[in-house]
Amino acid sequence: MNPNTLRPLTLLCCAALSILTMVPGCSRWIEMAPHLDTQDPGAQQIARDEQVPLIIDVIRTTRNGSPQNTSAETQQRILSSLAEIGLFSQLSAGAYDVSPSNDKIVRAKILLSETIDPHAGGAAWKGIVIGASMYTLTPFLPLEYGYAANVSLELERWDGQVKRYEGESSGTARYQLFGATPIMIDELKGHVTESCLNELARQIVRDTAFYTASSAPISHSDIRSVSIRRLSPKIPDASSAPIPVTVSAPADR
Amino acid sequence: MTPRSLAARIAFAALVFTMTIPCQAEEVRPHLTVGTQEISLSAGYLLPHRLTTEHTTKQSGPALMPSWAMVLTDPIGKSFYRGQLLLGAEIVYIQFQEPFLTHGVGFTPKIKYMFEGTGRLRPYIEFAGGPFYTDLGGRIPEESSRFNFILTAGGGLSWFFTSQFSFNVGYRFHHISNAGTRMPNLGLNSSLPFGGFSFYF
Repeated sequence: MNPNTLRPLTLLCCAALSILTMVPGCSRWIEMAPHLDTQDPGAQQIARDEQVPLIIDVIRTTRNGSPQNTSAETQQRILSSLAEIGLFSQLSAGAYDVSPSNDKIVRAKILLSETIDPHAGGAAWKGIVIGASMYTLTPFLPLEYGYAANVSLELERWDGQVKRYEGESSGTARYQLFGATPIMIDELKGHVTESCLNELARQIVRDTAFYTASSAPISHSDIRSVSIRRLSPKIPDASSAPIPVTVSAPADR
Repeated sequence: MTPRSLAARIAFAALVFTMTIPCQAEEVRPHLTVGTQEISLSAGYLLPHRLTTEHTTKQSGPALMPSWAMVLTDPIGKSFYRGQLLLGAEIVYIQFQEPFLTHGVGFTPKIKYMFEGTGRLRPYIEFAGGPFYTDLGGRIPEESSRFNFILTAGGGLSWFFTSQFSFNVGYRFHHISNAGTRMPNLGLNSSLPFGGFSFYF
């Protein structure tokens, strides 16, 4: 073949190869693990004067077992999710919120456990192979990023009765190299968290009757007790045992 | 303009640019997540290494290296080597001032490991290799063909001015040869100290 025709043909082949590599190499998708509990609790109705306020005492977050600061965004999202249920008249977060002492209120403790599996080893090896192939293997070597969340919610009614709820979900973002973006990880976390909170909401809605104002009278005990302990003890010792402290209840109770 | 004065001007321009960036009072900690992209531009000066007695050419000249990379992993490792892997590609342009005024251009996929360092100061090592075309080939005893390959290994330091912007300095060892496709093929070896900037998004 004439070298003058061979050169443009080679360039054309290179361009075609680049396009073939780039186009399918830009895709990404999220796979969510199937739900075990998809039972719809059905519509529940509650009278407005039967609604009670909810105070979130604490939201703890752990990531792969390590304690983390709970972001304002996560806190807001949990509040929004609980507000959407419509079961509670008012929602607030923070242990220092003061409410009228004779009110019926529900107190909540939330633990959000995140598990991230970035598949770092696989990404590293695939990256080396993709680079060595001058990116031609990009469409054939998808990368992945796993995220799982478990939300446990403890609701304490004004009379001291406690109910626990748990929701969990997981998903995997699969992407081709050129389709990777930090937004992809946020999208995955968003879907998984949403799924968890929906599951929690379904469970709470089933117990609607338990949280209505007429479900129980306010308990009038003269002495209330709280436990004070050191946070996250690393080495268990005798001094880490809970210390009972008695606090006098306000006179109007 | 001589190559040395060009390098001095580039260094001066980099210094002036650095000084014009406002200092930030808060602590800068770049948050590079999976999928974060890096675009950078580096410039340096190629210095020859004649590793055997058969090597006679003293090739030298300025080099320009625009590059792209993407963060592939979250931080891995638990000790001083904790860091992130980046995969990217680079175009390397070298203007050989010596022994003849010639040019070379190559395209190299590259892999980079960026240590966590102190957060703001992050060391890295990198490796790249790919095709390299130069009209210096055929005019020197070490290389007979114009179509060659370039292999690069080196390291550097990235100083983050902001969480998205860093100044880099580093050193690379360059090897240029034709992988035995044509003889003679002694290869050209060089050192390349360089400086540049990166933008992360």
